[in-house]
Amino acid sequence: MQDFENIQSLWQSHAVEVKISSEEMLEQAKKEVNSIRTKSLLNIGGMVISFLAISAALIYFEFDSWTTTLGIGIIVLAVAVYTILLYREHRLISRNDFTEHPGAFLTKLHEYQVSRFNLYNRLFWVYVAAISLGFVLFFFETLHNLDTWLQITILLFTVLWMVFCATILRRAFMKREKERIDLLIEKFQRISAQFNEQA
Amino acid sequence: MDQKDLLFKQIFDSNSKKIFHLCYGYTGDADAANDLLQETFLKVWQNLDKFRQKSLISTWIYRIAVNTCLTYLRSEKRQAKDELTDSIIESKTEEFSEKNEQIALLYKSISKLEENDRLIITMVLDELPYNEIAEISGISEGNLRVRIHRIKQKLTELYNQHARL
Repeated sequence: MQDFENIQSLWQSHAVEVKISSEEMLEQAKKEVNSIRTKSLLNIGGMVISFLAISAALIYFEFDSWTTTLGIGIIVLAVAVYTILLYREHRLISRNDFTEHPGAFLTKLHEYQVSRFNLYNRLFWVYVAAISLGFVLFFFETLHNLDTWLQITILLFTVLWMVFCATILRRAFMKREKERIDLLIEKFQRISAQFNEQA
Repeated sequence: MDQKDLLFKQIFDSNSKKIFHLCYGYTGDADAANDLLQETFLKVWQNLDKFRQKSLISTWIYRIAVNTCLTYLRSEKRQAKDELTDSIIESKTEEFSEKNEQIALLYKSISKLEENDRLIITMVLDELPYNEIAEISGISEGNLRVRIHRIKQKLTELYNQHARL
C-alpha cells in the first residue's frame, strides 16, 4: 500500500530527458514547411527541364511540315505558361517564415491551397487540351512514314498515358497534397489559436 | 545569434524538462510528449514579445503547455489515452524491472484521471507552488486545494488498485 508521498517520490525519480535543443526544435518545425517548398521547387524544375528539352527540338531539328512546328510550339507555350503559374504559387509560400510571422504564413498557406486546387482542376484541363492539340499536330508529320500498326500503337499509348495522368495520377497527387497542406494548416491554426483567443 | 534567439535558448533550457514531464504525464507517450513540447515552445517563440511579465515566465509557459495539451489530442483525433498508455507499457516489457513496472503503473493510473486533473496532478507531483498552479489552471486557490486533495486521493487509490492486480 503506497501513500501519495511515495507516489510523488516515484514520479520524481523518473528522470525524463529532452533530446532536442532549442535550435533543433525550430529547425525541425521548419522542415515540414520546407518539404512542401522543396516539392514545389522540384515540380517547377521538372517543368523547366521539359520546356528546355522541347524547345531544343524546335531549334535543332528541321521539320518539313508546318504542323509539326506549330504542334511543338503549342506544347512549349503550354509548358511555359504552366511553369509560370507554378512559380507564382511557389512564391506564396517561399517568402514567409512561419516561425516569425505565423498569422501571415497561415493566410498564404490558405491562398496556396486554393491556388493549387485551381491549378490542378480547371487550369489543368486547359493545359491538357493544349498539349493534346500540340501532339495531334506533331504526329501529322512524324507518324506519316510509319506502319499503320505502329501509328496506332503510338497514338494509343499517348492517349492512354494522358488519360492516366489526367485521372488516376492527378487525383492521387491532389489527394496527397491536400492532406499534407490540411495537416499543416490545422497545426498552425492550433498554434495561433491560443493567442488569438487571448488577444 | 541575436537577442531573441539567446533569450529563447535560455527559456528553453530552463523550462523544457519540466514541460516535457508535464506532457509525458498527460499523454504517457514520449513521442506525443515531444510533439507537444515542440508546439508549446513554437507558441512561446512566436509570442515572446507578447509576454507582459505580470507573472513568472515559467507560469506563462505552463499555461501555454496546459492549453496545448488540452487541445492536442482532440484536434489530432489521436488514440484514446488508455490505449496509448497500454501500448507503451507493453512495448517496454524488455526493460522490465520493479521500478519500471511501478513507473508504468503510475502513468497508467494518471491516465485514468480526467484530462484537467491529469495536468493539475502532474504539476503537483513536480512540486509547483499552489498559487502558480491556480494561475495556470485558472482555478481559485481555495477551490484548487480542495480539488488537489481529491485528485491525490483518487490517484493513490487508482495506483494501489492497479498494484494489487
